[in-house]
Amino acid sequence: MQKIIDTIINKLKSEDEELISLALDEVEQLSDITDDDKIALASTLTLLFYRDHVGMSEMISLANRAEKQITRFGSVVIPFLIDELVNADAESCAHLGRAIAVNGADAIAPLLDVWNKKRADQYALINLTQALAYFRIPEVLQTLPEILGAAESDNYQLSSNAINAMGKLVARLDSNLFDEVLRQQMFDISFARLCDSRSLVRMQAARTLGKLMEKGLLTNTQKERLRTAYRAIVGQDGCNDWDDAYIVRHEAKCYLPLLKTTPTSVAHYQQSFKIISKRALCPDTFHYVIEAPLIARKLQAGQFIIIRPHELSERIPLSICGWDRDEGQIEVVIMSAGKTTIQMNEMEVGDCFKDIVGPLGERSHVRHYRGTCVVIGGGFGTGAIIPTARDLKALGSRVIGVVGARSKDLLIMIDELEAACDEVILTTNDGSAGIQGFVTHALEQIIKDEKRVSHVLAIGPVPMMQAVCELTRPIGIETMVSLNALMVDGTGMCGACRVSIDGKTKFACFHGPDFDGHKVDFDQLTKRQKMFVAEEKQALEIL
Amino acid sequence: MPGKSAKKRSELSNKERMALSFQEMPLIAPEERIKNFEEVPIGYSLEEAITEAKRCIQCKKPDCVDGCPVGIDIPAFIKLIENGDMAEAAKKIREKNFLPAACGRVCPQDKQCQAVCVVGKKKEPVGIGNLERYAADYERQHNTLELPEIPPSTGKRIAIVGAGPAGLTCAYELCIRGHEVVVFEAFHRAGGVLVYGIPRFRLPMDIIDEDIEFLEKIGVKFVYNMIIGKILSLDDLLEQEGFDAVFVASGAGLPKMLDIPGVNANGVYSANEYLTRIYLMQADKFPEYSTPLYQGKKVAVIGAGNTAMDVLRTAKRLGAETTCYYRRSRDEAPARTEELEHAEQEFLNWHWLANPVEFIVDEDNFVKQIRCEKMELSDPDTSGRRKPLPTGKFFTEDVDTVVLSLGCDVNPMIPATDKGVKTNKWGIIIVDEENCQTTKRGVFAGGDAITGGATVILAMGQAKTAAQAIDQYVRN
Ligand SMILES: Cc1cc2nc3c(=O)[nH]c(=O)nc-3n(C[C@H](O)[C@H](O)[C@H](O)COP(=O)(O)OP(=O)(O)OC[C@H]3O[C@@H](n4cnc5c(N)ncnc54)[C@H](O)[C@@H]3O)c2cc1C
Ligand SMILES: Cc1cc2nc3c(=O)[nH]c(=O)nc-3n(C[C@H](O)[C@H](O)[C@H](O)COP(=O)(O)OP(=O)(O)OC[C@H]3O[C@@H](n4cnc5c(N)ncnc54)[C@H](O)[C@@H]3O)c2cc1C
Ligand code: SF4
Ligand code: FES
Repeated sequence: MQKIIDTIINKLKSEDEELISLALDEVEQLSDITDDDKIALASTLTLLFYRDHVGMSEMISLANRAEKQITRFGSVVIPFLIDELVNADAESCAHLGRAIAVNGADAIAPLLDVWNKKRADQYALINLTQALAYFRIPEVLQTLPEILGAAESDNYQLSSNAINAMGKLVARLDSNLFDEVLRQQMFDISFARLCDSRSLVRMQAARTLGKLMEKGLLTNTQKERLRTAYRAIVGQDGCNDWDDAYIVRHEAKCYLPLLKTTPTSVAHYQQSFKIISKRALCPDTFHYVIEAPLIARKLQAGQFIIIRPHELSERIPLSICGWDRDEGQIEVVIMSAGKTTIQMNEMEVGDCFKDIVGPLGERSHVRHYRGTCVVIGGGFGTGAIIPTARDLKALGSRVIGVVGARSKDLLIMIDELEAACDEVILTTNDGSAGIQGFVTHALEQIIKDEKRVSHVLAIGPVPMMQAVCELTRPIGIETMVSLNALMVDGTGMCGACRVSIDGKTKFACFHGPDFDGHKVDFDQLTKRQKMFVAEEKQALEIL
Repeated sequence: MPGKSAKKRSELSNKERMALSFQEMPLIAPEERIKNFEEVPIGYSLEEAITEAKRCIQCKKPDCVDGCPVGIDIPAFIKLIENGDMAEAAKKIREKNFLPAACGRVCPQDKQCQAVCVVGKKKEPVGIGNLERYAADYERQHNTLELPEIPPSTGKRIAIVGAGPAGLTCAYELCIRGHEVVVFEAFHRAGGVLVYGIPRFRLPMDIIDEDIEFLEKIGVKFVYNMIIGKILSLDDLLEQEGFDAVFVASGAGLPKMLDIPGVNANGVYSANEYLTRIYLMQADKFPEYSTPLYQGKKVAVIGAGNTAMDVLRTAKRLGAETTCYYRRSRDEAPARTEELEHAEQEFLNWHWLANPVEFIVDEDNFVKQIRCEKMELSDPDTSGRRKPLPTGKFFTEDVDTVVLSLGCDVNPMIPATDKGVKTNKWGIIIVDEENCQTTKRGVFAGGDAITGGATVILAMGQAKTAAQAIDQYVRN
């Protein structure tokens, strides 16, 4: 037996293509080979991978046949093959990689082992990543963290190999194997590489992203981003600044039509308006987190929404006190004021509002102020001032929050406000918390204490906003108020929300809701809010 | 023998045709109809329809077709009705107009096809609108409507902003050309003015619902609660959402207000608010539906257009004593003749040549009285118009609700949120009349958005022009 093996090995080493071919036939006939012989044979067979095939046309098919024979030897030869792989040249790396990958699950642990040992050897990692690209079994996902890490490497060959491997695995394995976190990571890493300085990396990234998309692993937002990126690469975005590398443009061009012909289904525009969480702030007042991804994406401080909770109800305008663009959620505070708000506050987590429109109204007036900004909230207004406070602070102004309520347990959203301001001052009418008195008392104090107050925003009950304006008017401090006029459509088509600003009629929903408080006709606003008092009572009676 | 009678019918001479008298549209009696929101015109019977159809002399060069903004082959569909082939008649109309039931009811035929009908030179013109309605209703009642053949998808996607008549028409025209169409509507319901403005007693809601259902069946997608400009911009639609073109049909939604004392009093509504509360939000069923309407006992309606007539008749149905105030005379009233006549039958009060100068309020800002100046008409000026002139004489009347029906300006949302879409000084979106293309590439517009408050059929006509241009644009 040993003799047979030796002669075969000798023939394999020869320069004669026909002899080699014969030897390969003989290897194929062999059975019951010992492990040692397998390794000996494998090491000779792998030599064929390195042979220069220039001028020896048969060599390519011989190498392929050698690869096929090696795969028959099973897992015993894996350690040897991996050792070989680590130092292999590009050509043989492919043969070795495939030969290892065919052995499947058994190869994973040794590969990871070598990876750990050779972590510093980028050349080794380049070959290892290439080999990983040939696997077709779910177990290979154990190596994905390493692949992802390698994809972020500065070595462009390593990075492009890793991104390629990622794409290959995505294309071959079942989509269900990739969880949310992995999908997000793969997208983020590849997407970041679209602006790599090396065209090879960009090309691999563009291709892998395309595969992620093809396998349905991308969210709609990710698809949109990808489409925008592809359009920029091919120069369709109107900037005329396309990617100068043909290979990158080519990938983008291939995948762009797929993104287009997979029309965003209408479901993409249907928001559930589901209540994700509900929290009592004080009696009759609740904080809600609602699923509304499209609205969340566009909201800006000071804007509002309109909710129609069910088929028979009226349209209820509500200020926004927060949002999470990534989660696609918006936050509101609802105070039971009458029939519809009471009905809304009876809804629970998991229930869905019938309709929500928004974002409505203009963004709050925010810019950098030299002097201090004071944001004042009363009632549901405490929630509403938070986004604006955050914006003002982000622009570098000093922001003091003031919240007023009748007594301590009616103070709401204080923690959230504190996070958004430099300082928060509380006032209660009965003195149970903070300063005893009204928000105007606190404001007077602030005006005295601060070097300069440049800007005031007040949101809450009309008498409170009016009192604030009376205080700031004589001393000329810019004061904005958010007017909660009665509304119907909220888009500027009915005029229900008319307010008088400096003697001119404006629509609170369209031109506002924020206006210069010194110009508002509060008396008219107060009276207009009482337009339907009799009807509201009647509505409550049948509730 | 049926064969013989059919022949005889076709052999009617022009003289015989001209001798037939106009078939009046039967109406519910005024005393009855002001108690509810039932549709007022009952519709022709089969006999009436055929007789009216016989009045058409089948002109070789029919003027009525030129008088129709969408060019319906009027003599052809009337001939089909005359022959008793109602389903085919409806089909004929649908070749040019896919909202026949609505148009048969609300089009101002007296200023269009019927105004130029040859028969009208000597007698009452052919009742084209009534016949259109008859054919459309026959189709609805007998379910003869067939879904059109939709060609294979072109892969092109078009976004429509607004689900009023213009948006719906454009959606239909593009859908049957094989494009994918998504309609974005700001409200929770499609139809535009057809659902939030025009009253149920003129246009029952189920007609529009059926039209929307039809569009859904042929593949048009509707998304509600989407205010384009706010939740998605035009650029978002074109660049992110993968639409190849956008059609803006956001209508004329900005109510004109008076600039007189008391205009912001409680109880003073725009017609838009009044009608929206009632028809879209169903305040007439308050408190079952929660939207309130402060409905007084004495309602003053300012204006005399179609909208004013609708408000007057709505207020009457809600039980108020209702008065129309208009600064010119009846002859200048812009409402459709038929609308004005129907309103006049409904026990309303009319103050022609009366110009409101103040709404007097009580201490709670509720409107209590209306003060008007009496006007007189000037002699026709060079433009041939008679202007209302102040007389210096005033009168005051008690009212507790005022509805301003002074028309609407163009909805400013789209031009306000996209600087690429230019408007003229009245806020009207500027388009190239040939193809309805706006000043922004890939964006087209039609309907009230490019004319200011006009009519359903004009809006539809522009939408068809735009659809053709969009079709060409996306194919190139
Ligand atoms: C821009 C804007 C933002 C708003 N933000 C919030 C918010 O974040 N949280 C919140 O709980 N409410 C907010 N409101 C007020 C809320 O819309 C009303 O409380 C609600 O419409 C009342 O409806 P209802 O049927 O429950 O009560 P109704 O029976 O209609 O009214 C009950 C009582 O509430 C008063 N009321 C009605 N409408 C308003 C109004 N628009 N403003 C003030 N008082 C009113 C009435 O005068 C009456 O006394 C906001 C209003 C506007 C216009
Ligand atoms: C009370 C009344 C009675 C009338 N009677 C007649 C009549 O008898 N006969 C006749 O021919 N005409 C009549 N008209 C006029 C006719 O209704 C209009 O000319 C016609 O409806 C215009 O159609 P449109 O599609 O351009 O706009 P609209 O019907 O106004 O539709 C516009 C649609 O766009 C939506 N929209 C607006 N902005 C946005 C946005 N940013 N994003 C998404 N959606 C948006 C609106 O909610 C609306 O649904 C009447 C009008 C009124 C108000
Ligand atoms: S103009 Fe009058 S008579 Fe002539 S075809 Fe038209 S409807 Fe008939
Ligand atoms: S709510 Fe209708 S115009 Fe503002």
